[in-house]
Amino acid sequence: MQYKILHTFLLLTGVVGLNETVHAQNKDTSKVQVLENVVIEAKSASQRTAEQNVKISVVNTREVQEQAATLTELINRSPGIRIRQSGGLGSGTDISVNGFQGKAIRYLKDGIPVDYLRDGFNIASLPLNTLERVEIYKGVLPISIGTDALGGAVNLVSRRSANQQLSTSYEIASFNTHRYTLNGYYTDDAKKWFASVDFFYNYSDNDYKAKVKVTDPVTSNQQYDRVRLFHNAFNNVYGEVSGGVTNRKWADELKISVTAFNLNREQNYPALMTDPYGAVKGKQSSIVPTLRYKKSFFNNKLFIDQFLVHNVVNVQRIDTLSGRYDWYGNFYPVPGRIGESRQAALSDIDYTNTTSRTFIKYQLNANHVIEINNVYTDLQQKGTDPYGPKLDGTGTSIISIPAGYKKLVTGIGLSSKFLDGAFETLVMFKNYHYQSSGIEAWQSRIITENDQVKQSGNNFGVGGAIKYNIHKYSFVRFSAELANRLPDQEEIFGDALWTVPNFSLKPERSLNINLGYRLSNEKNNSFEVNAFYRRTEDLILLIPIQAPYAQYQNIENVKGFGMEADGVYHFSKVLSANANFTWQDIRLFNINSSTDQWQNNARLRNTPYFFANAGLNAKFQHLFKQNDALKLYSYYSFVREYYLETIPKRLEPGGFLGLFGKSTVNTELIIPDQHFLSAGINYAPLRNLLTMGFEVKNILNKDLYDNYRVQKAGRSFHFKVVYTIQSKNK
Amino acid sequence: MRSPLLKSILWCLTALTVFVSCNKDDDEKQETKNEVYVIMTMSQNVLTKPGYTSAFTTKPTGTISNIGDGTLQGQGMGGWRPYNNWLFKMFNTSANEKGIERLTVSSTGVVSSGGFIKTNNTINGSGNFVIQNETSGFYWDADKPYMIQRFNPTTLSRTGEWNFESNIKKTDAGINNQSIGQHFLAVKNGKLFADIHYGKNTAAQSGMFDDFFSGIFVAVIDIATGNFEKVIEYDETGGITYINDNEMFSFDTNGDLYIVTQGRSAIGGKSKLLRIKANETNFDNWEINMDDIMTGGKFVNVMVDNGTIYTTIPTESLTGGPTGNINFSEIWDFYTINPTTKVRTKINNIPLSTNSGGAYGIQKLDGKIVLRVNAPSKNINGYYELNSAGTSATQLFNVSEGGSVSGIYKITIQ
Repeated sequence: MQYKILHTFLLLTGVVGLNETVHAQNKDTSKVQVLENVVIEAKSASQRTAEQNVKISVVNTREVQEQAATLTELINRSPGIRIRQSGGLGSGTDISVNGFQGKAIRYLKDGIPVDYLRDGFNIASLPLNTLERVEIYKGVLPISIGTDALGGAVNLVSRRSANQQLSTSYEIASFNTHRYTLNGYYTDDAKKWFASVDFFYNYSDNDYKAKVKVTDPVTSNQQYDRVRLFHNAFNNVYGEVSGGVTNRKWADELKISVTAFNLNREQNYPALMTDPYGAVKGKQSSIVPTLRYKKSFFNNKLFIDQFLVHNVVNVQRIDTLSGRYDWYGNFYPVPGRIGESRQAALSDIDYTNTTSRTFIKYQLNANHVIEINNVYTDLQQKGTDPYGPKLDGTGTSIISIPAGYKKLVTGIGLSSKFLDGAFETLVMFKNYHYQSSGIEAWQSRIITENDQVKQSGNNFGVGGAIKYNIHKYSFVRFSAELANRLPDQEEIFGDALWTVPNFSLKPERSLNINLGYRLSNEKNNSFEVNAFYRRTEDLILLIPIQAPYAQYQNIENVKGFGMEADGVYHFSKVLSANANFTWQDIRLFNINSSTDQWQNNARLRNTPYFFANAGLNAKFQHLFKQNDALKLYSYYSFVREYYLETIPKRLEPGGFLGLFGKSTVNTELIIPDQHFLSAGINYAPLRNLLTMGFEVKNILNKDLYDNYRVQKAGRSFHFKVVYTIQSKNK
Repeated sequence: MRSPLLKSILWCLTALTVFVSCNKDDDEKQETKNEVYVIMTMSQNVLTKPGYTSAFTTKPTGTISNIGDGTLQGQGMGGWRPYNNWLFKMFNTSANEKGIERLTVSSTGVVSSGGFIKTNNTINGSGNFVIQNETSGFYWDADKPYMIQRFNPTTLSRTGEWNFESNIKKTDAGINNQSIGQHFLAVKNGKLFADIHYGKNTAAQSGMFDDFFSGIFVAVIDIATGNFEKVIEYDETGGITYINDNEMFSFDTNGDLYIVTQGRSAIGGKSKLLRIKANETNFDNWEINMDDIMTGGKFVNVMVDNGTIYTTIPTESLTGGPTGNINFSEIWDFYTINPTTKVRTKINNIPLSTNSGGAYGIQKLDGKIVLRVNAPSKNINGYYELNSAGTSATQLFNVSEGGSVSGIYKITIQ
């Protein structure tokens, strides 16, 4: 009789990971059995994570660390996800997951909401080499993801190592782009203590050519020209030094880290590439001490994971130029003017953050696990800006008035297995509570301390998931959640500039349902199809109220469904291909105003509704010498055109699923079809030690737009070297 | 006797025939003019003002959709400033950029954006313009705040500028922005009237209800020579006209110029109607003060025709903020005012409307006065036509698709 045991441990590049999920699950499955012929079937942490009972996509960054891809490109190759970027390296991003966008999606670092790092740890600039993988939760969030996201979360899992390791990478690319990473981990032989360092540095001039409308200085008429962006550089440096002890009687792990980051961003244009700026800048910096404690008790039945951080992020914006630039970089003084943008600024704002996350997991018995997660966030804002708006009649800068925001998200869930593990279920309840205080400072009136406003809210959510393992290589999973997203600090307090407070904002609410099927085989071929339904009410949108002020308000209701499919096929040990597509039909509903009722059933504006990816990979080993490896790859990405503003359903493009034709409405407000093709080659003369890679992006040199009239870079060339030293497993 | 009678009858018949024939010819000419009614709607109340503009071959009646074949979708659809057969607006269709854009309508009724003069895109009032004739116009560009820019409306290109820095510049502490023509540009009897603004705000807020002095100033410029002739002023008011397509001034049939001042703040206070008589270049000793009508109100519309002022008056004090009523509450009532007696008369059978904002609240169409009404609570979104007595209005048409109406105008396709 042949027994097969499904062992779960990391088997990525020969390194055993230590992430908490794996840590716990190893214990779950550690049964003592008498074995005859043992077949070990290893699943990577990424595979295990992807097979949770909630819907999730996993992007294995370590697997492609030698590629010169950015994190946003890599994530965009996954189904159901679209990250739109407003320019080059380090520019702003907007993620869409199954039709949810913006703040409905939360970012986390190792399971902790990452707001305390602001842009210092951002998908727009994070090098692949700093991450183990990216987990993208769609619709329903497990208890361990303790946040109030409405439609999903992106968990950025830091690079892990169990043994001594030093890895460094350097990339040089078009537009004077340089990216450097250093990751090191050291532990003693007994694994009683450890130290680690994670460091990266990014720099890019981002001076690619863009097709913009330039203004004739005589006639003031405009015509298109391709100009090189001239004030678009970005750099950030990030370092995290950690040390701690492991495998002690009183702690499985106690880790103390100090992170420091500094970020500088030039701004060459406003939200659209309509006007050139030549001196607007932004800066962010912080020193961030964190503490993490993990311990199992009672024969591993009880597991506690505590995280704590307190830090101040300093955010500055500088816009004090007395003049303007044209698209060719020529400067023209303007008498009496201060600032190029709509708001002159010399702002210096401190955001003081305290976050505590407590995760408790208790194994009731072999088949039932109860989990509790509690995340408390306290955020205070105070700053100065001599050019910022002031309270009428007082001269007091609005930004100097302290504002505070506290949030407590608590979840409890029960994970169970039935029928010898064939059924896996999750039932969970969540409570969301927030409290905010500040001054409604934007109205033209005398403000005193007595005008302090306090606001609080309390909401509940419920969700569940079922997974049925049809057989070893296939399963069906279903999940549903009634989720809430609390308004965040900016939505309630505004930005002390043109976004004014709204203390009566209600949380967004959404019913999310997912149904999926996955089939794979021993050759790692896989096929997965998922469908989703969502019904979101009180969507929070930024609305202008009294020029020039805007305010976040509960405005729209959207509902709809969609589907995504993803497949990987290995033609041979050398050649493999993957492809996926996403189609979603998210539409407005329940609009009662007679003026706007025509918008009912219209597609949610400015949201991609069809996109697809395809990739081809070839891997050759022992090609020129023993243990060398050569990889060739090419990726193609397509996004169907979509409309910036609402058009009635009857005038949408026709054809199957709206994929063909054009609207009969005469409009320029279109984000056109996007075709992105890239290809690269990596060569590792010594496997897992040195890798060199070369990649060409946007080979077709297409004009690419993620956002309306914000062009991305044309064809670019990238060269990357990765060097890794590591000790063997002990 | 019979002969002259018969002769008279024959003459009459002949004359009648000729008259009828002439009328018929005129009618035929009318029919070949290819006149269209163009309607603009704003699909969302957001800063970019997205919306639709469509052309209709017949005068709209009943319930209509403003989205169909040939419709132009774009931004900056909050209003326009027509001139003869041209439709101009201060924000372009492609990105709501500030400037002067012309909309065109093809012979098949397809609306599209035509030429565009680009101005500074951050300061409100950039692109404020007035047209003297088909080859001469004037506008303000915040990149050159002390200057009046000149342009040719036919080619829609800038042609030059007048620099008045030495005429208007002040150095008082606390004045953070200065301009000429940012809010108000009008042409009357060969003179260009341009407001001179001294404001307290900076950047995008420059010129937004921030008057440094207690009154308003207007420069009088001789168009033929470009000479800066004088400055006229009016005390105890502020916020002359505004900075978008609704220019908030109107010429009476006799040439008298009536001007709105919105007051000392965004929600009013000393908001007035002022007047410059037809053959004068100074303010008349005449005003209508909103404070005397509705405390906490302000004027946002004016149309004057045949010696009658048409305007809107709020039914309650204006408020801003999250629950403010100024823009999206149905509080604006339509009135006529006799400029001589200053007696105002409420127009009947027309519902309260939201603020028309950049759209004309009151205008003429086919020789009749029409009133823009957006009253979502009553399922009304369209235009009313005023009766000849000026006392009552009836609904002309309602727009069910495309958003809140922000303009109607009749043009002849050339």
